[in-house]
Amino acid sequence: MFRSIGRLPLKTAVLRRGTLNATRRASLCSRANTRQGFPYFPPPNPSQPQAGQNVGSGSAGTSDRQKRNVRGGDYENEQARLLQAALGHVINLGWTEEALIAGARDIGVSPAIVGSFPRKEAILVEYFMDDCLQRLIDKIDSGDLALTNLILSDRLAKLIRDRLEMQIPYISKWPQALSIQALPANLQTSFKQRTMLVDEIWHAAGDHPTNMDWYVKRTILGGIYSTTELYMITDHSPEFCDTWDFLNRRIKDAFDLQKTFQEASYLVEAVGAGVGSSLQGFVQRVFQK
Amino acid sequence: MALRASTWKLQKSLSALLASSRLHTHATSFGFKEVHEEEKSKMVGNVFSSVASSYDLMNDFMSAGLHRLWKDRLVAKLHPFPGMKHLDVAGGTGDIAFRVLESINSVSHSALRCGVTDEVEGGSRIYVCDINPKMLSVGKKRAAERGIDGSPVLQWVEGDAEALSFPKGSMDGYTIAFGIRNVTHIEKALSEAYRVLKKGGRFLCLELSHVELPIFKELYDYYSFSIIPAMGEVVAGDRDSYQYLVESIRRFPKQEVFAKMIADAGFQKVEYENLVGGVVAIHSGLKI
Repeated sequence: MFRSIGRLPLKTAVLRRGTLNATRRASLCSRANTRQGFPYFPPPNPSQPQAGQNVGSGSAGTSDRQKRNVRGGDYENEQARLLQAALGHVINLGWTEEALIAGARDIGVSPAIVGSFPRKEAILVEYFMDDCLQRLIDKIDSGDLALTNLILSDRLAKLIRDRLEMQIPYISKWPQALSIQALPANLQTSFKQRTMLVDEIWHAAGDHPTNMDWYVKRTILGGIYSTTELYMITDHSPEFCDTWDFLNRRIKDAFDLQKTFQEASYLVEAVGAGVGSSLQGFVQRVFQK
Repeated sequence: MALRASTWKLQKSLSALLASSRLHTHATSFGFKEVHEEEKSKMVGNVFSSVASSYDLMNDFMSAGLHRLWKDRLVAKLHPFPGMKHLDVAGGTGDIAFRVLESINSVSHSALRCGVTDEVEGGSRIYVCDINPKMLSVGKKRAAERGIDGSPVLQWVEGDAEALSFPKGSMDGYTIAFGIRNVTHIEKALSEAYRVLKKGGRFLCLELSHVELPIFKELYDYYSFSIIPAMGEVVAGDRDSYQYLVESIRRFPKQEVFAKMIADAGFQKVEYENLVGGVVAIHSGLKI
């Protein structure tokens, strides 16, 4: 049940914006349709077969969407309109039912409709998360971010910063949103949304993992994103400059850590080789005798 | 001679059968009996006039107090809000209306804390509509006992679910609890519900429904057909009314069929939830 609900706002977001290119839309759909919260992705391997898979599941997603359009399109459109209107009331009313009710009044729909939403507060936060992801993707696709001139660590920092800046208007109410996302009933969806975001960021950064495990990378970036998000809540510096410093330091740490790991693995290799060769020498000597 | 007599009897019963099938378009069910449409509303009226005084006591006895929880669940699903215009059909004794009122009051207190202006506060209205004046008078009496009879929010209206006296698009919510079963034309009542609701308004129906679980079904049938009429006789002094009650439950369309009827009336997002394995079901729909 939660799964289908979690999917819904994203689908409406995709419906609302027709600017996505076909492959991206296909990959989004395939993600939205996946059943599991965790390893629902194969490690990215930008080779042909995977691209084929994506297109396949994407077209399935499209037909699914068309079906939904025929059946309950009005309801979903109204819901998306209402949630969009409700976002305007979040600053005053928080991520609450009151904001939803105010949003319903704005678009001239009876607030009784709010009663038909399951997990009433979460639906608004989830809509916002999906909307931000969509905006980020649009930005990446339009090339506004000028990522190609930057090195990998700067690209990651810029993408995370761009995404977090979308939360600035709601920063005073963001702790409430986080606590809603952390409720057990909402955890599955919020976790999925975060993995999708991190995945999108890695993808946009153009990193093709060859030297480090894909899941490790995703976990580390997720950690950086979440800690920066938390830091931002209590940051009162002008234009959140402390937050961006913090973010850059965390990314640098992660890259240093990667280097440390590499050096350690070289050391282990060298020691292993040394031990191996001396053992070999010892065995040879024993057999010569 | 005997043969002739029996063929004559057969002919007579056949013609009676044909007559009844010709009549069928105007016939409806009253429990397991087939009756004329005009008679049904009269007979249902008699049932409720005779049980009105002991209605709530019998509900408590029959459902072991569970009907209170079911009604709470209905109102929780409705999710009332301040400024709401709500119509409770077949709610003469006010059970649903009092709960909606309570819920609106508690929500509006929390809204005040959030600093919402109270321009909509005074606008809440709960219309209790019942075809039976005796049931309405029981409700009014209970409102007086609660000290809320002077409240402008509660309005008592005598009216028919099939021909509501409210204008089109005037209600945010519509509930009917244990009532739609007694309506002669369910489709008409549903289309009336659709008519009076605003865009975004919700329809909720709490009704005794069908149990499918194998062993539980046998127990439930035994309970309904053997114990409830006896209980009705002892507690309310009226066996026939409660015989009608259990029979009418069995005649009511199954959950899926009723959900289809609601969708056919134009509602979207039609869902239902079974409580106690289907002894009661809450159907809901949304007008867009």
